[in-house]
This record gives sequence, structure tokens and C-alpha cells, in this order.
Amino acid sequence: MHLVRDALPAAGGGAKLTAAAVCLGSPYRGDDAVGPLVAERLRRAGADVLDCADEPTRLLDRWACLDTLVVVDAVVGGGPVGSVRRVDAGSGPLPRELRLASTHALGVAEVLELGRAVGRAPRRVVVLGVEGCAFELGDAVTPEVAAALDEVVAAALEELARNEEPCTSVR
Amino acid sequence: MSEATREIRTDYLARVEGEGAMLVRIRDGALEEVQFRIFEPPRFFEALLRGRRFSEAPDITARICGICPIAYMASSAQAMERACGVELPEQLRLLRRLVYCGEWIESHVLHVAMLHAPDFLGYDGAIELARDRRDLVELALRLKKLGNELMRVIGGREVHPVNFRVGGFYRVPAEAELRALVPELEWAREAARELVRWTAGFEFPDYEREYAFVALSQPGEYAIERGRIVSSTGLDIDVAEYEQHFAETHLERSNALHSTLAGVGAYLVGPLARYALSHDRLSDVAQEAAEEAGLGPVCRNPFKSIVVRAVETLYAVDEALRIIAAYERPATPAVPCLPRAASGHGCTEAPRGICWHRYELDAEGTILDAKIVPPTSQNQKTIEEDLVGVVRASLDLPDERLAHVCEQTIRNYDPCISCATHFLRLEVERS
Repeated sequence: MHLVRDALPAAGGGAKLTAAAVCLGSPYRGDDAVGPLVAERLRRAGADVLDCADEPTRLLDRWACLDTLVVVDAVVGGGPVGSVRRVDAGSGPLPRELRLASTHALGVAEVLELGRAVGRAPRRVVVLGVEGCAFELGDAVTPEVAAALDEVVAAALEELARNEEPCTSVR
Repeated sequence: MSEATREIRTDYLARVEGEGAMLVRIRDGALEEVQFRIFEPPRFFEALLRGRRFSEAPDITARICGICPIAYMASSAQAMERACGVELPEQLRLLRRLVYCGEWIESHVLHVAMLHAPDFLGYDGAIELARDRRDLVELALRLKKLGNELMRVIGGREVHPVNFRVGGFYRVPAEAELRALVPELEWAREAARELVRWTAGFEFPDYEREYAFVALSQPGEYAIERGRIVSSTGLDIDVAEYEQHFAETHLERSNALHSTLAGVGAYLVGPLARYALSHDRLSDVAQEAAEEAGLGPVCRNPFKSIVVRAVETLYAVDEALRIIAAYERPATPAVPCLPRAASGHGCTEAPRGICWHRYELDAEGTILDAKIVPPTSQNQKTIEEDLVGVVRASLDLPDERLAHVCEQTIRNYDPCISCATHFLRLEVERS
């Protein structure tokens, strides 16, 4: 299993990185798969996607010098299924409704705020939330969310292209 | 709801790993029932191991947990090596212990500073703590990064390392790669002492229990990657004898199994157990720090487990320095392991307690059967019993405060619900 899935460490070290995405979700829980699906497409388009792994405090050093971080995740309660919400979190706290649900001890949103408290956060954070409705283990991605993929990927690429000073990646 | 009826519900317990719920039912001012409900979906790792090669077990079981993959890799590799009749050469065993020190450091520091300390200081979480005590959070993040770095240098990457194999490793680090970590480890020794002093200064609820402690024990060392299973009740067995003394029971309310020790019942694994059974085998630096923190030879207050975790962090740093100072790159990264029809048992000290594995192999090395007992499921019954004790002592507290004490009690165990699922919403009902 490990031999065919994410078998090798990501290449890294020394690359100039100014903008990157973090795509959240489980590929096995219906619309929650929107994050991994967008990640795959962004990587194919040559964008930098940070591996969130299982424990997001590991991201602090990776994104500290980023100009732009784009967070992609499924959201609930914001509108029709498949609609895409863009929230520019700026340098303030993330909106309450975007404190994204996490089954981990510290979620990415919390680690982002923790990073801000210790001066290790990207300059700009944009959250792209895709409204979903099916999240049970084994659910399929709904057609509405699948149809929104192109829009989310295009929006993420546009945000990633809007960055300023480059810095050296510490990946 | 009448005045005599009180109901408190916390749907998802925060600052634990995974999904679970808790129910506390109080009727006419008396505690009626405490339950854990683990609803993290079962993942059937034991079933999917059947039919796989013996050599695949470390990489497959590593995927059980992103916080403590080394525990699963080390226990499964040990089980397979025992099944093949192979004992690791000393330098390879020490490399396993060294990468395990990295896992103890990163896991313990995450829990001590980010997840558990806010409970004692009145913060909602690590973010609020970081705003007031940026220095301590930065210290913890740097310590944690060092633990991750040890895992990366030896394991190939921080999460789900790729360099473990039955019989040793795919590649062993050069002396210079490990010695490059020494300056940061020397800083970490002082930082970990600071962590012990900080946590020792917290106010702890006055609560103690006579636990049945269970841990690995190895002469001359604080057991991590090897040892016999011993208990404070007199048990002293080879890891292969585990199933003769410990039983797992499925309860309808939970996706995790409840473990009991024959003739004893609930038992406790993890930092308090290890410390009670082996504190005299900690390094001098760690023993001094424990003494300064006022721990004594046995600590029965589960809330003080945060101090013991800090002491164990200091020990892991100290032990890493000792291992690196004596390290000579092994001539070969692994020893050959030829499978045979056999049973193999492995047990190592995950950060949360003993992680026990058993595999049945056929002559070609195909896994016929697998059993994995993670630490959190072993502690589940003890956590419930602690909750009974803590709630009985705190019945006069308002609901919100009582709910907080219950959550804090659970976090004493750094429960890893994802691992235990084969765990937390909190509900308190009063009627």
C-alpha cells in the first residue's frame, strides 16, 4: 500500500517558494475529497502544494516565509452545494465559520493562528471553501462538488500567482 | 429539566487525536454512569494485513498513526524478527532506540505544551497560550522540530518514515549526519529541563489512585524498544505471553476494545507506568529533574502525567546524545530475515504506552493472522474509572466547570483515538 501511495518523501530544499496551497480533506469521505482532488490538479499545473500530513504544526516552518497561502477545504452551511466561497483571511483571525473541522488534535486553522502568535505565518491567507453535503466514510463526491473542481483550481491558481517577494523555502 | 436534573454535553472533545464522545449520567446528585464512546470509524488494519508479506508489516502499520508511526513500525518489525529467529545487532538496535527518542520528543512536546498545558493555565488552547507565553511556545516548537529531525535523519521523513525494514533499515546514517544534531540536542537538554520546571509549577487537582501500572522493563535501561512486560502487581512475562494475561472485550458503545489484566481488571500504560516501574533507570539528569519537580519514586496523580512527560522528554534528549556519542555506522544496514512458519510477537513503548503486536506467518512469510493492541485502548477502562473518581469528587461543580475537569482528565492520557479504533463527545446527564 505504502509502496504505491505517497511512497517517497516530497522533493524539497532550497527552492524559491512564494506561494503554496494546503488542501484539506479525506479522499474517502464524500465531498471532503475536494481538498485532495484539488491538490492533485494543482500539482499537475506545477503549483506548490504543502503536505499537511497528520500533524499540521509541522507546516509552521514551511509556510513562515510565504507571501500567499491558499487553503482549500470542503465547508458546510454557506450556500448551495458546489458553490465556492472565497475568504481573504488577511492578517486577522480566521472567521469562526472557517475554523475548519478537524479530527486532529490541532487543526490547520488553529496552527495558522498559532503561527501568527509566534510570528510564523504567511503574509496573506486565502481560504477557498467548497460547499459540500456528503461526508460519510465511503460516500462518493456529489456531482455538484465534482462540477466545481475546475472553478476552485482556477481560483487557487489565480491566488497563487498574486504574490510578492520570494523567499527561500525551508521545506 | 428539574433542578435535580443536570445534563452537560460536549459533542467533540477538543485537543485529542481522533473522534470520540463521553457520557456522564448523574441522577439525584449521585453519579450513575460514565461511558466512553469511540466513533472514529474502525479501520480494519488487522484484516488487511492478512495475506500480505511479513516484510510489508512495518510500512502498513505505520499508517495507523501520524503521531507515533515509529511505535507501530518498531513493534511489527520486532515481531517479524522474532518470528524469523533474528536478533538485531547492537548498533541497529540503538538506531531503532534513537529514532524512537525522536518520536517520544515530538509526541510528548506536542501534548505537553500545545494540548495539555492550556488546561492548567486557564487557556482555551495553544493559540491563547502563545499570545501570553510566546517564549514557551517557541521553545516547545523548536524541541518538537528536533524530534521530527531525528525521525527524518534516521527514518527518511518525519511522517510515516520510509527507511524501516524487518531486520534493520534500508540505509543507516553516517556518523557525521547524527553528530550534526548534537548542538541542537545540547540546547534541547536545557530546554527540556525548562519544560519540566514549567509544568512542575502548575496547580494539580488533589487526586490519586492505586493504579495497576504495566510497562516494559529492561535491566539497565529505561525500556523503550525492548523489554519484558511487567506490572506493579507482580507480573513479569515475555511479550509472547501477553494474551495469557490480558484480555480485550468489545463493548457495543465503542469502536475500541477494552483491555483488562487477569485478576486485576483495569490497568494503566504510558508515562506514569513507565516512571513508576523504571524511574531508577532514567539518566542522572532526568532523575535530578524529576526530584526537583517533586515527583518521588511513584506518581499516582494522573494530572501530573504532564510533568512525567516532560521528564521523559528530557530523558529522550539525553539518551539521544548518549547514543549518538557512541555511534559507529554499522557495516550493513540490515541483517537477513528468512521467514518460516511461526508466530512473532513484538512490544515497544509508544509515547502513550505499550504497543503490542502478534503475527502468524506461513513458511513463505505470508501473514495469516495479525493482532495489534495500541496503548489508548488499553487505557480506556482506566480513563473511565478516573472519570468516575473525578466526577464523584467534583459533583458540586457547575456543569461547565465539571465538563472541563472531565476533559482535562481524559487529556491526562494523551489519548490517540485514531490509534485505538478498532474514541470524544462529552455528555453529562443529571436527573
